[in-house]
Amino acid sequence: MAEHPGVATACAAMLRRDLTLAWRRRGDIAMPVLYALIVTMLFPFALGPEDTLLQRIAGGVILVTVLLAMLLALDAMFSSDIEDGSLEQLVLAPQPLALLLGMKILAHWITTALPLIVIAPLMAAMLHLPGAVIPVLLLALLLATPLLSLLGAVLVALTAGTRRSGMLLALMLLPLCVPAVIFAAGAVAAAQQGLPWLAPIAWLAASLALAVVLAPLACAAALRIALDA
Amino acid sequence: MSNWIPLWLHRLSSPPTFYRFAGTLQPWAMTLALLLGAVALYGGLVLAPADYQQGDAYRIIFIHVPSAWMGMFIYAVMGVAGFIALVWRIKLAEVVAMQSAPIGAAFTFITLVTGSLWGKPMWGTWWTWDARLTSELVLLFLFLGVIGLYHAFEDRRQGARAAAFLAIVGVINVPIVHFSVNWWNTLHQGSTVNVFGKSTMSWDMLWPLLTMTLATKCYYAASLFRRVRTDLLDLEGGKDWVRQIAESEADR
Amino acid sequence: MNALQHFLAMGGYAAYVWPAYALFFVVLIADTVAPRLRRHQVLRELRARLARQSVRQERKPPSTPASP
Repeated sequence: MAEHPGVATACAAMLRRDLTLAWRRRGDIAMPVLYALIVTMLFPFALGPEDTLLQRIAGGVILVTVLLAMLLALDAMFSSDIEDGSLEQLVLAPQPLALLLGMKILAHWITTALPLIVIAPLMAAMLHLPGAVIPVLLLALLLATPLLSLLGAVLVALTAGTRRSGMLLALMLLPLCVPAVIFAAGAVAAAQQGLPWLAPIAWLAASLALAVVLAPLACAAALRIALDA
Repeated sequence: MSNWIPLWLHRLSSPPTFYRFAGTLQPWAMTLALLLGAVALYGGLVLAPADYQQGDAYRIIFIHVPSAWMGMFIYAVMGVAGFIALVWRIKLAEVVAMQSAPIGAAFTFITLVTGSLWGKPMWGTWWTWDARLTSELVLLFLFLGVIGLYHAFEDRRQGARAAAFLAIVGVINVPIVHFSVNWWNTLHQGSTVNVFGKSTMSWDMLWPLLTMTLATKCYYAASLFRRVRTDLLDLEGGKDWVRQIAESEADR
Repeated sequence: MNALQHFLAMGGYAAYVWPAYALFFVVLIADTVAPRLRRHQVLRELRARLARQSVRQERKPPSTPASP
């Protein structure tokens, strides 16, 4: 028997594989970005182009739009791996499943959330969000999107064994994301009103630290339940 | 010799034993629920005096508050049963967790609608984004998510385990949701509502409330027993004990 | 009669109190009836399956092929 590669090597290989696969289908990466831009564009049409109104809702609209765009992409996190059977291989691998899944979640975050964060200033400009608030918005997104990816991964893993999962995923995930939305939007709103915004950011960071530790473990357990037939 | 409790529990967790046990207890629980409920309704609707601030509208409290408590209580039961189902793989725990979910959703729904009916005359609005109301709404969505996930699987036992896992994730998340909504509420100093203006309730109002709480607990037990019995029959369809029941009830 | 009317009026809040109680009972009655119906359905299906099985077993012993 050949010696098993180390955990670090396996994790790096996992990350490289997922990123390569995503890069080969670059069109899929662009989809959530386009979706977010179009949804943002619809708001001025629906509410009228007044600056003050758009400024007031900008932070919340961007956060909810990013959340929904991520939700659309979340479904695909494990689906291709289940179809070609590589997920079963992953479960049987000698390396800890939680770490490998953590790498998959990281790859998914890089390919879906990072492009959304990159275009967030553009969305902010579309809704006339003051330039001074944009760094806080980006910081809030940088902390909130991994939280959503981690939480979403657990639920996607749970639905891995089912046929129809799109709407079900939304039903399960959205109530659980209430805290992330509240703190992220709270930070942006506080910055907009010139109030201290560090407290909600700190709460977000604390939840993220908790999720980084717990979510991969929960994801591994959920996947074992969902694939155990 | 104190190991008769685990032994008894072990025996009880076998489906045919539990089927008979639940069948014996179920009518008693239902009778008790109806009796206590009737007493509580009489006490609450007739005997209790009208509130000096809220008039007679406060009488909704006698079903609203017990339902709210039951919603949370049933979620806790579901979480604990789900945990037992995942750790020890006991079939009965899976069934209890999954059959609790619709009852919990029913109570949470009652809480939301009666709360809304109470809020309209008292606060002048059907809905306000108060921490308690919002948490209750999230609780309803969690129940519905658990039910939805359970039914999404072809294999019922696998669905039960997945949904039990979701219930446990929810148990961790509900306090965080409640805390975050509280924090959000202090940020947006909108319509902060204090339902219980005075902290102490008079005994005339308290005893029907507590009696109704007991009645809903008994009702939950009865409803759970009925649902679990039905589900066990469905789940164990091929076994001998189910066949005997099916044959003995053929005449009716 | 007057007392009953007074009771039903609920101090002017009848439009809120009674629908709340009505909903409470409707939801709980639905919750009681649904498993009963399901129980009947489950037992009916089970009996149908048992009947099919017994028919098949009766047909088996004479090991000749079924007559057309």
